[in-house]
Amino acid sequence: MRSNAKLRRSSRRIEHALRWVLALAALACLGGCATQTVQPWQRGRLARWDMRWDPDPLQAAMNQHAYFSKEGTSGEIGAAGGGCGCN
Amino acid sequence: MRPSPSLSLLLAASAALTGHNVARADETSSGQYAGYRFNVYSEDALSAPSLGDPRRYEVYSQQFLLNTPVGDRNTLSVNATHEVMSGSSPWYVIPGPDNKPIQVLSGATIRDHRSAATVAFTHARGGNDTTTVSTTYSQERDYHSAALGAERSLPLNSALTLGFGGSFSHDRIEPFEANLYDRIQRAKKNTTSAFASLSLVLDRVSVVESGIQFNYQTGYLSDPYKQVSVGDTLDPDTRPGGRGEAAWLVRYRRAFGENAALHLDSRLSANSWGQHSLTLEASWYQSLRGGWQLIPGVRYYSQSRARFYAPFFAAGSGPDFSSDYRLGAFGAAAANLNLRKRVGHWEFSAGAERYHAGTGYAIGGADSADPAVVSYTRVFAGLDYHFD
Repeated sequence: MRSNAKLRRSSRRIEHALRWVLALAALACLGGCATQTVQPWQRGRLARWDMRWDPDPLQAAMNQHAYFSKEGTSGEIGAAGGGCGCN
Repeated sequence: MRPSPSLSLLLAASAALTGHNVARADETSSGQYAGYRFNVYSEDALSAPSLGDPRRYEVYSQQFLLNTPVGDRNTLSVNATHEVMSGSSPWYVIPGPDNKPIQVLSGATIRDHRSAATVAFTHARGGNDTTTVSTTYSQERDYHSAALGAERSLPLNSALTLGFGGSFSHDRIEPFEANLYDRIQRAKKNTTSAFASLSLVLDRVSVVESGIQFNYQTGYLSDPYKQVSVGDTLDPDTRPGGRGEAAWLVRYRRAFGENAALHLDSRLSANSWGQHSLTLEASWYQSLRGGWQLIPGVRYYSQSRARFYAPFFAAGSGPDFSSDYRLGAFGAAAANLNLRKRVGHWEFSAGAERYHAGTGYAIGGADSADPAVVSYTRVFAGLDYHFD
């Protein structure tokens, strides 16, 4: 009985997770449909310094270090490491 | 070889998501340059009742970056940081009148230095197909950390780029005055990370990126300098020996005309200690006449508390308990302003950030006090030299 209840709970969790995955996939498809083909000679604005993900990497690193040392769950996506400097 | 402007962007767009202490592929795509930054970080006095040395934390940081091509297809990036830190630190919390928490700060002012270096090597196979390997070493008197990372950027078609990678770090801690305060003598911590991202060129003026990251930490994850009030006794901060975390990040960049760009970033995360967080950031890059650039930005952050966090505990609580403010529920609002000026090969930058934190900013409110949350002000200035 107990194992059946566990199984039902697990199934419900998996269904719930699958719904989220499907919803995100649908959103991604919508995003894909909304894109335009951009030729290399049309990418002048995209190539600007101010369109980079992190135009100033030194400043971005220092910002992230300040947030990382004072917040419990912050941090950019990427590799770990670099020490603490916390208090 | 200096990448063409479009290649630079593609490298930046594809490399995308890397760590806060590991050189980014978009750093390595911007030609040969050297940069220097000086930061001053200063915390506010605590707004909650406190005991102990009232002088709060101050950090003076210097950063240096050299980015240089090696042959036609490789780029080497060297990043060095030195910080001098001083000030009192939150130690433990005791119940005051009406059970209101009183934060006890360390009596002696802590003074420490941190030195860190990162070396990253990027190989470009052509287009925006790149591989980066990096290594970082960071050292304080009581804390050593070494990390290795690798990432790959792979164009899937003309608009879509896949990025993925992983890293491993090993940290070692040997607390000060371990015998005097009955602290652990030495301990280790390992962190393993894996991440993947997709970046998509939406149209001629906008690009979006979505990425996920998984981190897993094992070892000594407690803070040896913090204690916890449990009933009438003070016990060491004690946390589980493992922590898993998943994060989802979305970034969007849009150009407005020839002189402005909007940056929007968001991040959702959850970890196995019961904490969830949301981060939202927005910045506006405005180019002005005469080579000036003005960059205002805002940031909002909210986190829930870890399941074993409380300001203080009843006797018999445990086995895990912590009063570290970073594990409580709180939120923060921040605003920053950066000014840049390019003159020939030289570029000067200066700016400031005001960061204000409190339990009132937390989404859904906070169900327990967090008397040591930190508000701070940072000012920074820098100088870059572009060789080409």
